Amino acid sequence: MFSEATKKRFDEMVGRYPEGRSALIPILHEVQAEAGHLSPEAVEWVAAYLGLSRADVMSVASFYDMLELEPVGRHMIYVCQNLTCALLGAERLIRHLEQRLGIRMGETTPDGLISLKRMECLASCGTAPAIQVDGIYYERMTPEKLDDLLLKLRTGSLPDPRTLDTPA
Amino acid sequence: MPTLKIDGVEVTVPAGTNIIEAAKRVGIEVPHYCYHPGLSVVGQCRMCQVDVEKTPKLAIACNTPVAEGMVVSTNSPKVEKARRAVLEFYLLNHPLDCPICDRGGECPLQDYTMKYGPGESRSVEEKVHRVKHRVLGPHVVFDAERCILCTRCVRFCQEVPKTGELGVFSRGERSEISLFPGCDLNNAYSGNVIDLCPVGALTSREYRFQARPWDLVRHTESVCPLCSNGCNVTLDVRHRQQGEQLLRIRPRENQAVNRWWICDEGRFGSLNLADPGRLHQPTWRAGAAPATMEHADVLLRTARALRQVTEAFGPEAVGCIASSRLTNEELFLVVRFFREILGTPHVDFRVRPIQFPDADASEDGLLRRTDKTANSRGARDLGVVPGPGGQDVAGMLEAAAQGRLKALFVLEEDLVSAFPDRPVATALGRLDLLVVSSLFPSATTAAAHAVLPALGFAEKEGSFTNFQGRIQKLHPALTPPVASRSLAEALAEIGFDLGRDLGAVDPEQVWARIGERAGPYRGIAWKDIGPEGLVPEGQSGN
Amino acid sequence: MVFEKVLTAYQEIPNYRGGMDDYLAAGGYQALPKALKEMQPAALVDEVKKSGLRGRGGAGFPTGMKWGFIPKGSPRPTYLVCNSDESEPGTFKDRMLIEEDPHQLVEGIVISSYAIGCHQAFIYCRGEFVHGARVLQRAIGEAYARGYLGANILGSGFSLELTVHRGAGAYICGEETGLLESLEGKRGQPRPKPPFPAVSGLYRSPTVVNNVETLCNVPHIVTRGAAWFAGIGPAKSAGPRLFSVSGHVNRPGNYELPMSVTLRELILEHGGGIPGGRRLKAVIPGGSSAPVLTGQHLDISMDFESLAAAGSMGGSGGVVVMDETTCMVRVGEIVARFYHHESCGQCTQCREGTAWLHKTLRRIEHGQGRKEDLDLLLDMCDNMKGKTICVLSDAAAMPIESYLKYFREEFELHIRERACPFAGQDAP
Repeated sequence: MFSEATKKRFDEMVGRYPEGRSALIPILHEVQAEAGHLSPEAVEWVAAYLGLSRADVMSVASFYDMLELEPVGRHMIYVCQNLTCALLGAERLIRHLEQRLGIRMGETTPDGLISLKRMECLASCGTAPAIQVDGIYYERMTPEKLDDLLLKLRTGSLPDPRTLDTPA
Repeated sequence: MPTLKIDGVEVTVPAGTNIIEAAKRVGIEVPHYCYHPGLSVVGQCRMCQVDVEKTPKLAIACNTPVAEGMVVSTNSPKVEKARRAVLEFYLLNHPLDCPICDRGGECPLQDYTMKYGPGESRSVEEKVHRVKHRVLGPHVVFDAERCILCTRCVRFCQEVPKTGELGVFSRGERSEISLFPGCDLNNAYSGNVIDLCPVGALTSREYRFQARPWDLVRHTESVCPLCSNGCNVTLDVRHRQQGEQLLRIRPRENQAVNRWWICDEGRFGSLNLADPGRLHQPTWRAGAAPATMEHADVLLRTARALRQVTEAFGPEAVGCIASSRLTNEELFLVVRFFREILGTPHVDFRVRPIQFPDADASEDGLLRRTDKTANSRGARDLGVVPGPGGQDVAGMLEAAAQGRLKALFVLEEDLVSAFPDRPVATALGRLDLLVVSSLFPSATTAAAHAVLPALGFAEKEGSFTNFQGRIQKLHPALTPPVASRSLAEALAEIGFDLGRDLGAVDPEQVWARIGERAGPYRGIAWKDIGPEGLVPEGQSGN
Repeated sequence: MVFEKVLTAYQEIPNYRGGMDDYLAAGGYQALPKALKEMQPAALVDEVKKSGLRGRGGAGFPTGMKWGFIPKGSPRPTYLVCNSDESEPGTFKDRMLIEEDPHQLVEGIVISSYAIGCHQAFIYCRGEFVHGARVLQRAIGEAYARGYLGANILGSGFSLELTVHRGAGAYICGEETGLLESLEGKRGQPRPKPPFPAVSGLYRSPTVVNNVETLCNVPHIVTRGAAWFAGIGPAKSAGPRLFSVSGHVNRPGNYELPMSVTLRELILEHGGGIPGGRRLKAVIPGGSSAPVLTGQHLDISMDFESLAAAGSMGGSGGVVVMDETTCMVRVGEIVARFYHHESCGQCTQCREGTAWLHKTLRRIEHGQGRKEDLDLLLDMCDNMKGKTICVLSDAAAMPIESYLKYFREEFELHIRERACPFAGQDAP
C-alpha cells in the first residue's frame, strides 16, 4: 500500500525508539499527510506493519483530535473555541466561516476543499482569536481576514499569515 | 506474610496480595467492576475505593498491595459517599433496560446500586444514545448504552486468546467499545466476555431472553465432556412445563485446569441434549426393522443372545469397544463385566490415534486439546485395554469381519464414522449380536441389534480424569428421559439376566471397589474427590 | 518593576533568529561544557535542588527532588522526556520558547540528561506545534553537527540521543503518565500511581518528565549558580517565571518576571490594563485548571504559596483577564466544555462527571437552569475531586467551585431570569 521509500522512512522512524510501537503516532501522521486521512485499509496496513491488532491501532488513532478517520478536505481549518479566544470573538469567527462556506463546524465543503473543526486551546491566547490552517497559525483573526484567507485558499495557496489583508 | 485488618477482621496473606483478594479471604466483598484476577489491573472503574488509615485519599483496593499493620475500612462514611457517587455517575447514562436485559437479577450494577447507590436520579439531562443489540460475532451481542467501559472484554481478548478484536474507540464520554470495521468477534473463547461483562452490555446469542436467573432451578457442578482438558463447568437448568432444559453452561473456576475460562465449543456445544433427534427409546432388531421395546425386554433379549454366543463360541467371541466419553465408573464396570465376569480379553477404547498416550496435545496453547474425548486418561488408568491375547479396536473389527468375533458391544462410539476408509458396516453386519449405546442415531446404531439410548454428560453422576490425571466429578443437572437407563444399570441388568452379579453401581460404592485395586487410583474414595478434583499422589499433575 | 531577563534575554538582541550561530553569539552552549567537565552528575542534581527550581508545567514540583528520585544502579536505562505538550488554556509560553530560542531548551536537556544519567531523551511536542517541531528538529540537527548531541559530547564521554516526538491532539498527554503512554504509541491514558515515573516510566524504566520552561532554566543555573537563582523572587518560588497574559488586556503576551510580582502589577503595569477602561471582574492566575480570583486578590504575589493560600494555584502561569462584560456562567460553560472534551474516559467520575458538569452549565447559560442545579454542581465537583487516576477530574471541578463561590448571584440570576443577562455575548 505504501512505496518502498515510504516503508524505509517508517523503518527509520521505528529505529529511533527502544520499542518500535512508539513510532505508531508519528507513522499515522505521515500516512494522514500523504493520504489525507486514515482509511481502514491504512489502519490495517500500519497494524500489520507494527504487529498490532487492527482494533488496537484504531483505538489509538480514534483517541486523538488531529487524526482523521474519515475523509477531510484538502485544507483543514482549526478554530480555537477555548477561553481567551472565546472571550475575544471565536464564536463570531465560527459563525462567519459557517455562513461563508455553507457548512457547520465538523463538516467539509461539498467541493472537498475545506474542512472546519472546533479545537481546544492552541497556545495562541496572546494573539487571540487564533486559528490554524494546515498547521499554520493565523492569529488575531477577524471576519475580514477570514474572507481574505478563504479567497486565497480558493486560488490554491496557503497565504503567509502576515499578509492577510484587513480592509482599512 | 503481612497481617492487616479489614473492617476490624484480621487477615494474613502473602506479600503482594491486593486488598480485594485479601478481603475475599475473610469473606468481605469489595465491590468492583474493572478488576479481575485473571486480567491486567487498570484501576479505572473506581468502585473498589477503600479507606486506608493514615492515607488521606481513598485507595483503590485492586491496585493497593497489603502492608503489615494496615487498617482498612470498606464502609467508612468517606467510602460510602465516594461509592455512591461512582454509581450515580454510572447511572447517568445507563439505560433503564432492566426489564429486557439478560443481566437483570444477576447484575452487579443492580446489586451494588441496591446496596450502595442512590435511590433516585438527580440528572435531568438526556441520556447518551448508542448502538444497541449489535451482533459482534457468532455468540455475542453488544449493547453500547449499557456498557460501563470497564474494559474487561477488551483486556480479555488481548491477554487470553491474544486476538485483540475489541478496542475502546474515541475518548472521554464519547468512548465506545467496538470492533475494527468489517471484523467480528470470533475467537475460540469469545463467550468468556459474556461472563466477564458486569452488566448486560455483552450477552449470549444462544441464551438471550430465555430465562431470568430465578427461573434457573439448578446450578450443577460438572465437567465439560468435549476434550481431555476437562474444564470445570456449572450447568444452569431452567424449569419448564414441558420439562427441564439445560440452558446455560458457564465455566467454574479451577486454577489448575481452566482458570476462569472455557472455550466456546464447551460453552455452547453441549446444549443439544434436548435435541429431538436424540435416541429416547431402546430398540431391538430381530430381522430387518428395529422394534421399540421396554428396556427390560431389550436387555433380556440381549442377555439371551449373549448367552447363546458364549455357550456356542466361548467368551472370546465377545468384545467391547467402550468410548473414552464414558465416566470412570462406567468404564470400571465395563472392565468388570467383560474382562472379569464374562471373561473376554477383547476390551479397548482407543478408536483414534489421539487416544494413545503422548498423542494428545494442546490444540491452541490455551485450553483446547486435540483429544476430543474427556476420559482417555481415566480409561488408561482403569485398564480399559485388551487383556492377554486380547484384540484391540482394529483387531476386533477385523475379527468381526472374519466371523471370529460374534458379539460386540459398542459404547458411545460411532465406529462407522470413525473409520471412513474401512468396511466397518460390513464387519458389523456379520455379528450375531451388536449392542450399541448411543446418544444419537448413527450408521453404527443402524447396524445394531440392540440400541440403548445413552445418557448425556449432564445426566450422569460420575467422574472423568483429565489429561493431567486430575479426577473430576460430574453431577447430574438433568433428569434423564423417562425411558433411559444408565449404562451401569443396563450392564447390571444384563448381568442379572445372565445370573451374574455386577455389584452396586452407584459411584460411591464403585469407588470403594476401585480404591481396593492396585493401580493409580488405589486408596481413593469418592468422598476424597472435591469440587476442584483430585490428582492421585505420584501422578503427574500435567 | 524592571527585571533582568533570563529566559527571554534573547528578545533584546536585534535580529535574533534562534539558530546555532545566534545562540552561540549570545553566549549559548557555555553552560554545557561547564556541566560536563567541571561537575559530577550528583553535584548537578544538588545544585538544581539548592536553586529551588520548581516545575513550570503546572504542578510546581521541586525539580531537583524529582531528579533525585531516579534510583541509583538500576539495570534499566534512564530517560528524560521534555513535556512540550503545552495545552493548558491560557498558556503559550513554551510555544514561544521552542519557536524562538530552541537551543536554550536543547542545552537544558543535555545538561539535565547528564545530571540524571540519561542517554536517550525525547521532546514530546504537541501535534499542533507543527512549526515548533520543525524548529526543534532543525536545532537538534545543528546541535548534532556541532557535537552538542550524539556520542562523546565535547569529549566528555557522555553521549545523548535526542528525538522530537509529535503528539496528535489530546490535552491529557500533558499529564506525565498520559504523555508516557502516548510516547509508547498508545492512547494517552494516565497510569495509576504508584509506581511513579522515576521508578517505572517510559518503557517501564526510570524516567524524568520536565516541562520546557523548567529545562530552559537549567543552563542558567549552571552558569550563574544556584544561589543566584534562589535569590530571584520569593524563597519558595525562586527563579524567573514566564507568565502568559491574555484576555481583556491591552498588551497580551508572555512576561518574564520573578514570582514576587503582584497580580496587579502583572495585569495593569505589564499587561497594560484593561481596554476601554473597563473594570476587572475575574482573573484566572494559572491556566483554566486554576480557581478564579477577583479584584479583591490583586495584591497577591504570583508565587505558588500565595496563590494556594488564596484558594487558587500557580499552575501553568497562564493568566486570563476578564472584564465586567464577561458572563461567568458562560466562562464556566466553556471551561467545562474543555474538560468534557479532553477527559480520557478511564475513570467513571471524570468520564461522566465532566460531561454532566458541562451539560448542566450549558443548560443554565441557555436559561434552562433549576434552583437545585447550583448545589448539585457543587456536589458533583466534590465527587470528582481526589478519587481518580489523574487530576483532570479535579482540574474540571475546582474552577467551577470557584465560579460558584465568587459569582453565585450571577448563576442565580440566570436561573431566575431563565436567560443569560449578557445574552448576545458571542454565544454559539
